[in-house]
Amino acid sequence: MDNLLYIAMSGAKENQHAISVRANNLANVGTTGFKADFEQARAMQAFGAGLPTRVFSMTERPGHNFDAGPLVMTERELDIAIKGDGWFAVQSVDGSEAYSRAGSLQINAFGMLETASGLPVIGEDGPIQLPLPLAKVEIGQDGTISVLPQGAPAEALFEVGRIKLVNPELADIEKGLDGLFRRKDGMVEPESPEVVLINQALERSNVNAVAEMTHMISLQRQFEMQVKMMRNAQQIDQKQDSLLYIMG
Amino acid sequence: MHPALWISKTGLDAKQRDISVISNNLANASTIGFKKSRAVFEDLLYQNVNQPGGRSSQNSELPNGLMIGAGTKVVATQKNFTQGNMITTENSLDLMIQGHGFFEILMPDGTISYTRNGQFTVDQDGNMVTSGAGFQLEPNIVVPPEATGITVSQDGEVSARIPGQADNAVLGQITVTNFINPAGLEPIGQNLFRETAASGDPVQGIPGLEGLGLIVQGALETSNVNVTEELVSLIESQRVYEMNSKVISSVDQMLGFAIQQL
Repeated sequence: MDNLLYIAMSGAKENQHAISVRANNLANVGTTGFKADFEQARAMQAFGAGLPTRVFSMTERPGHNFDAGPLVMTERELDIAIKGDGWFAVQSVDGSEAYSRAGSLQINAFGMLETASGLPVIGEDGPIQLPLPLAKVEIGQDGTISVLPQGAPAEALFEVGRIKLVNPELADIEKGLDGLFRRKDGMVEPESPEVVLINQALERSNVNAVAEMTHMISLQRQFEMQVKMMRNAQQIDQKQDSLLYIMG
Repeated sequence: MHPALWISKTGLDAKQRDISVISNNLANASTIGFKKSRAVFEDLLYQNVNQPGGRSSQNSELPNGLMIGAGTKVVATQKNFTQGNMITTENSLDLMIQGHGFFEILMPDGTISYTRNGQFTVDQDGNMVTSGAGFQLEPNIVVPPEATGITVSQDGEVSARIPGQADNAVLGQITVTNFINPAGLEPIGQNLFRETAASGDPVQGIPGLEGLGLIVQGALETSNVNVTEELVSLIESQRVYEMNSKVISSVDQMLGFAIQQL
């Protein structure tokens, strides 16, 4: 059997991976703070004896689109978005520090400030806890959280902590398996004072739906070409068989 | 089967939920005391196909891995407890809470639920009840049959004019209850909410004191649904739904092509 078939198969298989990456982007067009993934193919040579024809393909995710998503004003006091570059820190399920831009925060019954999925938001010294009961929470531009305890006069607003905001080099961070971003070297990023928060707003997903659809079309056609090549390999094989048949 | 089929299916599921939440908000756009919800989405786990840093040959490494996300899901529906608008009705038993807090309602099974809908009415025994199901306000207020001109003060004191008496008779005191995390309350329909572990314990008090809202008589709080915003969200959800179904049909065509050709 000619290795044409196997090369075409590797192309079709890697196309499927690429389509999965694009499909995931499209499924997350509505996810707050989502960053789109890129997909690219890499040539993987496997030259042996004979002509150097065996170049398999391999799909990989070289990085993420870190462009800011559109901001929407929500008028909810616990919604935060980050203006320009930067991230806020959350404690992931395994206890490590991770970074996110999905700022639909909430307060749980114990007064912990957490994300919509229940991960604690990290402040200057660990997870942020708010005193209960409270009448009003205000989150400042620099992440400072001020609360007004229930029943206190309006001027009794006091500061309880500051959300840890970081601004790592984009080349240093990557998306983990839980969709949160972490430093590639596993270190904890130091706080960065220049990151600006916008209160009562959320950052939407930065997926460009039209671009994703176009990539889908291109990948679909590419897949069909691979299948065509497999078909060619089959026809070449059949021709070989029939040649041998005449000879015999 | 092709993973993209299932990834897009999660997108369809999530958007279907989103549309349900939006349509419930729209359906209740004119429900007194209704608080809008919104669906919160998150990306699902990622599947590690190729680990970055893996060996590509004896002396080279793969600089990038391949992680494929498994799609999206609705992690929560968050209730938004911002204040609705005020409409004045001049009905003496229409009450509105201006600020934080809920009215307490005694359910027929003896438990307490909470509402922001202040459309009260009087039953045949003179009890102040909700206008829908007729559940009693807690603490109970009995309006005598001969009473005229009921007045509810800002701090919740209910008084009425009794014929033949010079002073207004005090009928009772309406209290207002607040929660640490009102978003954690469980909506049970009929404009009522029930306490949960996430909402925290109820904190009862006199209206206007300790940060609780004031009672406004002769007014009602409209729902806080912003119809335009909901319609825009609806358009967006519909389009995202269509795009995800487009992915499914593309993958279907690809598989169909492969089956046909090979």
